[in-house]
Formats: sequence, structure tokens, C-alpha cells
Amino acid sequence: MRARYPDIDGLVVRDGVEIRYERYGQGSPAILLLPTWSLVHSRHWKMQVPYLARHFTVMCFDGRGCGGSSRPAEASAYSDVAFAADALAVMDAAGIGSAVLVSISCGALWALRLGAEHPDRVLGTVFIAPSAMLMPPLPERRVQRFGAVISDPVGWQTYNAHYWKTHYAEFVRFFVGRIFTEPHSTKQIEDATEWALETDGETLTAADVGLECCDAPATRRLAAQLACPVLVIHGTDDALRGHVEGAALADCTGGALVRLAGSGHFPHLRDPVRVNLLIRQFADRILS
Amino acid sequence: MPDRQDVVERNDARVAFEVFGHGEPALLLIPASPITHARSWKGIVPALARRFTVVTTDGRGTGRSDRPHTPERYGPAEVTADLLAILDAAGVGQAVLVAHCHAVPWALHLAGDHPGRAAGVFAIAPATALAPPHPHTVEPDRRWADPVDEPSGWGMRNRHFWRQDGGYRQWIEFFFAQQLPEPHSTKQYEDGVGWALDTEAEAMIAEREGRSAPNGSEAEALCRRVRCPVLVVHGSDDRCQPVARGRRLAELTGGDLIVLDGAGHLPHGRDPVKVTRLITEFTDQITGTPIRTTSWTRGPHRKRRALYLSSPIGLGHARRDVAVAKELKRIRPELEIDWLAQHPVTAVLDAEGEHIHPASHWLASESAHVASEATGHDLHCFQALRRMDEILVANFMVFQEVVEEGCYDLVIGDEAWDVDYYWHENPELKRGQNVWLTDFVGYLPMPDGGEHEAFLTTDYNAEMIEHIDRYPWVRDRAIFVGNDEDIVPDTFGANLPSIRDWTTQHFSYSGYITGFTPPAPDEVAPLRSRLGYRDDELVCTVAVGGSGIGKALIDKVVAAYPLAKKSMPELRMIVVTGPRIDPAAYPQRDGLELHGYIHRLYEHLCACDLAVVQGGLTTTMELTAAKRPFLYFPLGHHFEQNFHVRHRLDRYGAGQCMDYATTEPDQIAARITELAGKPVSYRDVETDGAARAAQLIAETI
Repeated sequence: MRARYPDIDGLVVRDGVEIRYERYGQGSPAILLLPTWSLVHSRHWKMQVPYLARHFTVMCFDGRGCGGSSRPAEASAYSDVAFAADALAVMDAAGIGSAVLVSISCGALWALRLGAEHPDRVLGTVFIAPSAMLMPPLPERRVQRFGAVISDPVGWQTYNAHYWKTHYAEFVRFFVGRIFTEPHSTKQIEDATEWALETDGETLTAADVGLECCDAPATRRLAAQLACPVLVIHGTDDALRGHVEGAALADCTGGALVRLAGSGHFPHLRDPVRVNLLIRQFADRILS
Repeated sequence: MPDRQDVVERNDARVAFEVFGHGEPALLLIPASPITHARSWKGIVPALARRFTVVTTDGRGTGRSDRPHTPERYGPAEVTADLLAILDAAGVGQAVLVAHCHAVPWALHLAGDHPGRAAGVFAIAPATALAPPHPHTVEPDRRWADPVDEPSGWGMRNRHFWRQDGGYRQWIEFFFAQQLPEPHSTKQYEDGVGWALDTEAEAMIAEREGRSAPNGSEAEALCRRVRCPVLVVHGSDDRCQPVARGRRLAELTGGDLIVLDGAGHLPHGRDPVKVTRLITEFTDQITGTPIRTTSWTRGPHRKRRALYLSSPIGLGHARRDVAVAKELKRIRPELEIDWLAQHPVTAVLDAEGEHIHPASHWLASESAHVASEATGHDLHCFQALRRMDEILVANFMVFQEVVEEGCYDLVIGDEAWDVDYYWHENPELKRGQNVWLTDFVGYLPMPDGGEHEAFLTTDYNAEMIEHIDRYPWVRDRAIFVGNDEDIVPDTFGANLPSIRDWTTQHFSYSGYITGFTPPAPDEVAPLRSRLGYRDDELVCTVAVGGSGIGKALIDKVVAAYPLAKKSMPELRMIVVTGPRIDPAAYPQRDGLELHGYIHRLYEHLCACDLAVVQGGLTTTMELTAAKRPFLYFPLGHHFEQNFHVRHRLDRYGAGQCMDYATTEPDQIAARITELAGKPVSYRDVETDGAARAAQLIAETI
């Protein structure tokens, strides 16, 4: 069973796409836990929700392409603009005017867009392990060729649209293994694998292609418009996005940076206590 | 020490202020003057000044301020104008106001009428008419202006009584006893009474009659004018101001109330650590200080780390602690050790290549304090330690920051009094395993201190015993540097246990730790020749440590030299004055050498034919381990040297104890000629103390 169940489990429909959201607790400021890439749905916030909901109003939603939300087939449905609009629709439906945003990985892209274009709705934003395209990929990922046909791909070569059609599960096992670089992460790996297998390779391909419009200049432009307080949290052993990415984002947003020495890409699942305390501390300061 | 000390002058009255530090934002600390003044903040200023600009004032009527005797000079408009003038003079636009008792209404006036100048109000034990006063003060206060005969208790708060001979002092002594219901508050009581006596009854009467504190509805209206954040801190056992007043103030200002359970009216004096942390948190919340760029290391990812604190009082700790650390690293090679240390310990650590934590430079000097407490050959070290209270709390706050940021597995404190005391007083702050080392247990009164000193030492010992009894988990291991027989046969005081029994129950014994291996008998002759000693001379080494305290003893020994030389022509005397005493100030004599500093002094102590020293444990035990004859002069009123060290040396059968005050130079000369070069039969000093201590420490991690 879960540690806490939502007070409201709702659906909001936007342009024909259903978005499933949850609302917990009360108290201000409200905290919106944003979706990340459609690989995993909102259960990946399971270590944050019960704690934060004792102190704040907490919302989360399944990103389009996974969980209880619709899975549009076309890549254009997965732009950062679409995710940001979903977030606003969820806030409207849940009756939340403004919130602190917390994002993980490429959730940074919609957090940036929301903060830059809707400053009245965003009180502050926490970026965990941001993938905001500011820095070149890690060396080991340079073998990636997403659209190419590769025979017998290995390692990061499996990050490949053709491979996902036939070997999605194998890719998930590889990829989730790279999310959790910390020793003794079996449970976190099992969880994330299970969530990832709830969606499919075609959907994830669309979700990946949909983000091709995001690049470093776009991120810098949005970051420059961001006026709210910013906290960036990044693990030094992140094998998906090097922690220099987090440092760069802190730099161009004027935000604070907390490096988690020894942490991988999903510290909110692997080091939930520290991440919870950092979010709480950040939100408390927003309130005052 | 303040960065700036100044006065503002308004309508011919001067009001004193001081500025410490330069961080943002500024804090203005407003005391309940004139019964107290700026020194009442001494426990919290050093830590706050490391982060913020701290402005203190004595207030009207006391300290370095003028003492008007007319009531109208003490009205709230006057005081508020003083505070604004101080902010202007200090170049502070907006400040967080920290106020105590009847200074809180002044802070509310300032915040309500000049909202641009107050970023927040931190109210300690506020005196406001928002709720009824304590019943025990109602009738006496009604009779404030009535002539009274021999009043008692709260009835002494009476203008006629204060004007009587000794009346004001009697009232103050009663009042501060009431304000400190917490046990073991002798120092805070002495401080409070002392500051209250810095002013005079007429100023106190004028202030009380001119205060024109707002009545209930005025006070409510005043609270409603305050728009800035408010935090109220109130002791549950406050006998001056009821907690209901603090609660109502928080309600009316939309602020928060924190009740300090078990605290009295002076929590900033009695619980300075908690109050400092509350002020810091409140200020950080107001200013929204961003989370600093920082790093957190996953628990399993961390290296094993220890933080070592070595008492700077006397150099002896440094050498033994380095020896223990080396042994500890031998047993646990993976352990990284940082040192939080100050001069002169840092000199030893630097030479040994040890890593000194950079926060060490924030530490207030304990050795300079102790030196400042000495006169001639006299150092009342118990009172010196009591008067070191604000240095200890300032250094504890540095320590606590270091230990919270550094993720240490282990804290080793060799007589780190601040850590031991404040972790027991604030046990929720403890981090990591904690090992306590000491070479003496129990404060002992000097006979001429009479009953009062015995009362004080008993009270301090009782507090320590209660600490250990209530929180046995704060010290994970306590190590006595020595053996059970080294412990004095005394008790901790009336109705308290025997020191030796109690120590055996609560400590492990490491044996003595010399920090060096003395030369074997056959190594002494080569050492002497290497040091340039001739075969036909008897060398007497005189050493007094690194502070200026030794001058009185050197004067006497140098005066004894010609007398001793006369009857012992082969005598050569080597005097080490230390850096604070000028060797050139002494007459030149054949066979008498004076040096400011001698490298590896302990080699001379191991090779000499006689030594003349103070009564410190380290030097005398070096001589004991090296089996040299020596005369030692315990510092006057130094209970540790007079009782603890002497007892230990007696057990080893070592040294000749001398009384500085009653010993004349000719008697010193006689003892020198009698003992120089004579064989001794001391008990052996163990050489494995450091290894044993290290093993005891290693077992905790």
C-alpha cells in the first residue's frame, strides 16, 4: 500500500489529451511536482509526496505518454510547451494559483518555460539533475545515434528508435541501470523498470523527438527571463547528465546549487531524505 | 571586541553603542536598560557578528551612557529617538530589532512608527500590558511610591527603599535570583547583579517613573501598527513577565511564539546557544537568505573523519594529542583528522603537518584570556574558567557550525570544555561519536576562598555530574589521562560522591601520555654533550611556559642564582623566558644564560641536573618520566596545580613542591645546591598512554 493516498485524483482534458493528476494535503505554498520524460509516471515522486503533503499542498501528474494520461502518437504533442500547458491546466483544475515547481531531469524544460512565461504562477523552482541541454552530452553517450539503424547496438547505442520498437525492455534495463549508479539500488531499479514498462517504445520515441526543439540557446533565453528563486540539486555521479549541467543552470538562473557527492540521476528516489529536506527548506523560505 | 565603540548625543545626553561585524542584515540589540546594559548580550554577540552586523547599545542611564535623573528623559519617545540616532550613526538603514523585557515596547514603537527601519522584531521575555502581571508583583508595584519599613521580596521594588543605604543592592540581589530559576546559574547571577550595580538608584527610579509603558489598549494598538515579522521567545518559568504576555504579543502581531520550557527571564544569558540559533533562523527567514551553494555527500560515500579539539590552555595538550592522533591513524589508517585549534596549539600542529580546519581562525583566544587573568605568580584558574563563559559559547558556536557541515564520525575533545558543556545543555545538537579526554576531574576550592568558593565549585561539579547522569549518551567515551591513583582523594563537594569512585565508574584510564619517549640512562650522556653541557658543570634549567605569567618566578630564581653559584661553583643556569618576557631585562652573570626560546626544550629537561618550573602537569611529568630532580612552584590559587598535579607527583614520588609566596631566594639557592645532580627514585611513567588512548577512541567508531 501507499504511505499516502491523494485527496483528489482527477483528470483534466486539454486538446483531447487526458492528464491524470493528484492533489494532496493543504498548506502553503503549493508544490507542483512536475513530470519528467514519459519513461516514468508520477509514482516516481513517492518518496516526496507523504512528507511534503504534511506541510504543503502537493500536486503531481502523469506526464502525457505514461501512467494514467493519454499517449498521443505524434511527436509534436510532446513539446516543452505542451507539458507546460498541461501543468497550468492541472493547477487550474486543482484550484492552485501559484506554486513552487520541483522538476527532475528533462522536467527542467517545462519548469523553465512555466517560470519564464507565467511568472505569476511560479513562486520558485527546484531543479533536480536538470537535463536542460546546456552542456554537451557525457563522453560515453556520444555513440548515441537515435535515428540510425545500428546492428547489435550495445550500451548507449540502444538509445535508438529502431531498437526500441523491438527491444524496449532491454533498453529500459540498460537505461535504468545508468540512472542509479549508487551501490545497493535494487529496489529503485525495480521500481523504475516497472514504471517504464507501463509505457512503450513508440510512445517514448514520440516523446523524445518532441523535445528536439529544445536546445542550449532556448534554455538560456528562458533562464534569463526567470525571476523567481532557484535551487539546483545535482549528483556528482550522474551518468545521464553530468553535474556541470546543474552548475551551468544555477549559473544562468542565478540560483543556488547543492551538489550531492556520490549521487546518481534520481537522488529523489535514492537519497530521498536529503532531497525532501532541501525542498522543504526552499519552500519555507519562499513562504517567508 | 567591537569594531567600533561610540556614542550618540541627543539633548545633552550621551548614549553608548558598539558595532560588531559587517554582514547583512544588521541586528540592533536593545537591552532592558538601565538595570542592564550591552554586556548582557555577551553570550550571543560573537556568533551573530560572524554572520551579521550587530549593533549594541547600553541604553540610557547605564554603562558608558549618561545617567539622567529626570523621569521625562526616559520616555518611549526619547528612547526611540536614541535608537534611531544609533542606527543613523552606525550607517544602518534597516535592522532586525532584538529586545528584552521592557525594551520590547521600545522596539515596537520603533517598528510601528518607523516601519522602514525595522526588518523584524525578536522579543525576549516581553514586558507589555497585554496580559495581567504576575500576582506577586501587583501589590508591591501599587506601593512603589509609598514609604515602606523593611520590605522583603518583591516589596523591595520601592523608590524609598532603593534610596536607603544598601537598599538598591538588596533589591537587585533578590531580583536576579528570581530571574534565574535554572539551577547552576551562579555566573549569570553574578553578571546580572554586577551590571545592575553599574548604574545607580536615582537613574533606576527616574527610568521606572518615566517609562510610561503603554496600558492594555494602547499596547494592543501599538502591536497592530507593527507590520514586520515578529518572533517572541519566552521562558516558561519567567517570574518577571508571564508567558501570557508573550503569547498575546505574538497573536496581535501575527508573529510566532517559542516557549523555552524550564527557562527563566534571561534565556539569552542562560541558554545562549538556543537563543543565538533562534535569532539566526529568524533573521534568515526574514531576509530569505538563499541556500548557499553547497555540497552534501551521501552517507555511504563519506570518508571516515574525526574532528580533534585540543585545549590551548597550556601547551601540554598539543603534544599529547598529536601523539594520540598518530596512534589513532596507525590503528585506523583511513581516518582523516581535522583539528579545530588555536594558538599556541596550532604552532605544534603546523610543525607536525596536521590539518587545521580553516574555521579555527574564528576561535576567540582562550590562552590570551587565561594570561589576562594572571597577576604575578597567581592564577585563580577556576574563576578564570568561569569568566571565560562568553569565549566558550562563542567558540562552541564555531565548533557546532563546523561539525554540522563537516559530517564528522567522531569528535575528540581534549578538555574541550565548550563542547562538553554545551552539548549537555543542548543535547539535540550532538553529532557523531564523542570522546572526552581530561587529566583532572573535579573543581576544588582554594582554602582562602572560604565557604563561597566551596559552594561554587560544588555547584559546578554537581552540574557536571547531573549532565552525565541525565545524558549518558553525550559522551560516548571519557578517558582519564592517568590512572585511578592519580585522582585526588577528595569528594566533589558536600553531598556529592568521591571523585575517584565516580571517575572510575564513568571514565576509562589511558595511563599518562607524555607525547615523547624519555632517553634511556645510557642515552643521557650523549644527549648532554650534543646540547653542549660540559662534564664539569651542573646544569639547572628554568622554564615557565610560553605566557607572560612566569616573570615573577624567573625574577626570584635569577635572584637566587648568585647565592647558589657561590656554594656550587660548577652551577650553570639556563633560563627559558618564553616570547613574552625580555631576556635582556636581567643582569648578566657568569654561568647564567637567558633565552627567549629554546628549540626542543624537552631535551634540556631530559638532560639537566635540576629543573625549576611552575606546577603545570605536562612539564613536571616530563621531568618525572625523565627522572630529573626538580623544584616546582604551583601558581597561587591554581587548584589544578596545587591539588591535582601535586597529588599525582606525590604518587610518583617526584619533585619538590615549593610555595612561591613564602620562599625567598636564599631558600631557593639552598634547594638548588642540595638537589642538583642528585639521583632520584621516581615511579616509572608508562610510555604506552597514547596507544591506549587511541585504542579506546578507535573502539567508538
